[in-house]
Amino acid sequence: MNNMSPEVALHRISPELRPLLCSVVRNGRVGLDSTNCLRVTDLKTGCTSLTPGPCCDRFKLHIPYAGETLKWDIIFNARYPELPPDFIFGEDAEFLPEPSELPHLVQWDAGDPECLLQLVKELIQQYHQYQCQRLRESSRLLFEYDSLLEDPNYGRNMEIYAGRKNSWTGEFSARFLLKLPVDFSNIPVYLLKDTALDPGEDVALLSVSFEDAEATQVFPKLYLSPSIEHALGGSSALHIPAFPSGGCLIDYVPQVCQLLTNKVQYVIQGYHKRREYIAAFLSHFGMGVVEYDAEGFTKLTLLLMWKDFCFLVHVDLPLYFPRDQPTLTFQSVYHFTNSGQLYSQVQKSYPYSPRWDGNEMAKRAKAYFKSFIPQFQEGAFANGKL
Amino acid sequence: MAASISGYTFSSVCFHSANSNSDHEGFLLGEVRQEETVSISDTQISTAELLQVVEIHNHDPCAQLFSFYDYAGKVNEDNLNRILKDRRKSVIGWYRFRRNTQQQMSFREQIIHKQLTQLLGVPDLVFLLFSFISTANSSTHALEYVLFRPNRRYNQRITLTIPNLGNTSQQEYKVSSVPNTSLNYAKVIKEHGAEFFDKDGVMKDIRTIFQVYSALQDKVQAVCGEVEQSERVKEKIQEDVNKLKQQIALRKRKTAEEERRLREAQNAESHPTSEENSEPSETSLLSRVAFHAPSAPERPGTSPNPPSYSDLLSQEDSLLSSSSSPTSAALLPRPQAVGSPGHPTPGPLGMGLDRQAAGQEDDDDDDDDDDDDDEDSSEYENLVSEAAHLPMVSASVLAQGRPAALSPDGDARGSQTS
Repeated sequence: MNNMSPEVALHRISPELRPLLCSVVRNGRVGLDSTNCLRVTDLKTGCTSLTPGPCCDRFKLHIPYAGETLKWDIIFNARYPELPPDFIFGEDAEFLPEPSELPHLVQWDAGDPECLLQLVKELIQQYHQYQCQRLRESSRLLFEYDSLLEDPNYGRNMEIYAGRKNSWTGEFSARFLLKLPVDFSNIPVYLLKDTALDPGEDVALLSVSFEDAEATQVFPKLYLSPSIEHALGGSSALHIPAFPSGGCLIDYVPQVCQLLTNKVQYVIQGYHKRREYIAAFLSHFGMGVVEYDAEGFTKLTLLLMWKDFCFLVHVDLPLYFPRDQPTLTFQSVYHFTNSGQLYSQVQKSYPYSPRWDGNEMAKRAKAYFKSFIPQFQEGAFANGKL
Repeated sequence: MAASISGYTFSSVCFHSANSNSDHEGFLLGEVRQEETVSISDTQISTAELLQVVEIHNHDPCAQLFSFYDYAGKVNEDNLNRILKDRRKSVIGWYRFRRNTQQQMSFREQIIHKQLTQLLGVPDLVFLLFSFISTANSSTHALEYVLFRPNRRYNQRITLTIPNLGNTSQQEYKVSSVPNTSLNYAKVIKEHGAEFFDKDGVMKDIRTIFQVYSALQDKVQAVCGEVEQSERVKEKIQEDVNKLKQQIALRKRKTAEEERRLREAQNAESHPTSEENSEPSETSLLSRVAFHAPSAPERPGTSPNPPSYSDLLSQEDSLLSSSSSPTSAALLPRPQAVGSPGHPTPGPLGMGLDRQAAGQEDDDDDDDDDDDDDEDSSEYENLVSEAAHLPMVSASVLAQGRPAALSPDGDARGSQTS
């Protein structure tokens, strides 16, 4: 399957059909997993082989759905571009939507560039219904579905893929893809801007695979859009609990949702707390502040003097501050170590409590500096070279 | 289910399809018939196999797409009637041609098919899908076709055969049962038909030939009769010849006998003979008989025509009757091997017979010979009356005329007649 870039596809398609494909390829996002765009491959023509190009009018559309990729054939006729397309639904030979449920087919308007995209969305909806119908083969999974459907939080943002029965073992499998209703809007912007690609919508998807109809083998997986994943500290930071045997989705999904929400809250709070901390230090140390991270408030450097001894203090604030303690690095401005670096000492444990507010932390820090500096000075003189 | 499409219909569909610059569709006209094959074998009760045969005779291409259905795929019955007109009842399916697509029914095709099945009232409506695949550099083009019967749940694809497309040197040239619907053909035949067809619609030539055949048959029958008659005449003549031969042999034997007796009588005065020695002398006499009467031992078997059954019948009968009491002529010959216990060996029998003078005849002979010509029997009677002074001799003497096992030649012919 050739990985055709959208531009190539647009170039090869018949000019009359180009606007329709354009909106599909450039803006086409259907379904919950909108990080993956719709892809177009296998462009072919329905005209005679002697027709000069570009005259392609039929292609395969790859649509992400419930963790699978649907490959549907869309067939136009380049000579009659005003006519609506025909579809072949790949392996889903039994999927036959009711045309009356597809308003964009019944009132096909070739002049509207969005028409094809809208039609595809309507077909996806019908496909979803079709898959839900197939769930009826397993009462257990049907129960799961119904219970989720009733909950307004999850019911509307669900994609279900009822897998093919394994003809040997007679197994039935299904996958639920749910969009978790977590609010990511308050995540500080700086955390989100680091991704190279267009991050798209911030979304968290929970995919739960049932490998058998009795729900004894259940595999949940959490998918986050790249920016969220980065903001929350990478994929390693997120461990969702295993699906409890005998449990059901209606209990499990809110659990995961809560976990995620908590994490997000932490991150948001951490940001504000750090800002508060830095602000307090600024006001306490005033001119002593060399520099600080004004975006993420993760770092702060102070230049202080005690009894004619100047030293630097680097403060590193962790992501889950104030739960995690900031790291203090003392650095001498006079002494070098053997490797040519400035002599420094890192202090991770010092009197600290996450319950203090910024001001309190600044005061305590000041007190700590006073108590620690003689030690440091001695160490610097002893171990460092001028 | 089997399906076939005539070669010209197939090529016509391909022509229409290949020349269209877009997808193409149309209707298939033909007939569906049920063929029942009853197979009978010794081991099982007869089984009947039902085979549904779909024959596509013609096609009706649609001028454009969406001509009988709308964007939603809903079939418009008025448009359908306008396209099909009076051919509606011979519709057995429809076809679609699309380039560079999969061999699978599409969404709209399935919807239309369902509606057509209902509207046309054909429960097993077929769908023929043509797909034209070209390679990227247009060097190779493949036309693929699949016949579906989507109204069934399983075995939806049927093989479509095109009769006489293939190696006809190895296959028979099949004549299809496609009816000729051409108007022009019908017109011409009507005009010129009177020269070839009689009033019943049968070709004149056939009648003529049949007449010739009948005439030939009659002639053959007549000839058969003539042959039969001539055969009978021939048989009769043959019989006559045989009888005359026998008479000659008999006479010769009689003369030989008389001469022998005279000699014996002369010898008996000088040399007394024992009975035991009679046997060899008998045989020697017989051999002499054989020699002296070259024609005598000639049995009917040596003649070019085999002896008639009646002859054989009489001879066999007389052989039997010599040993047993005179029986009716209805005795059938019982083929016995030489030396069988049922009957005495020809040797002593021959001796006994030989004692009896030639010429004496049994009454049975008369009865047997009654089947033959009266002339012959009368001659026998004459013979008998001539030699009346001689002891009774059965016709087995006549049998001796046959070179039976008695023949010194060691002829095995005797075994045939005994």
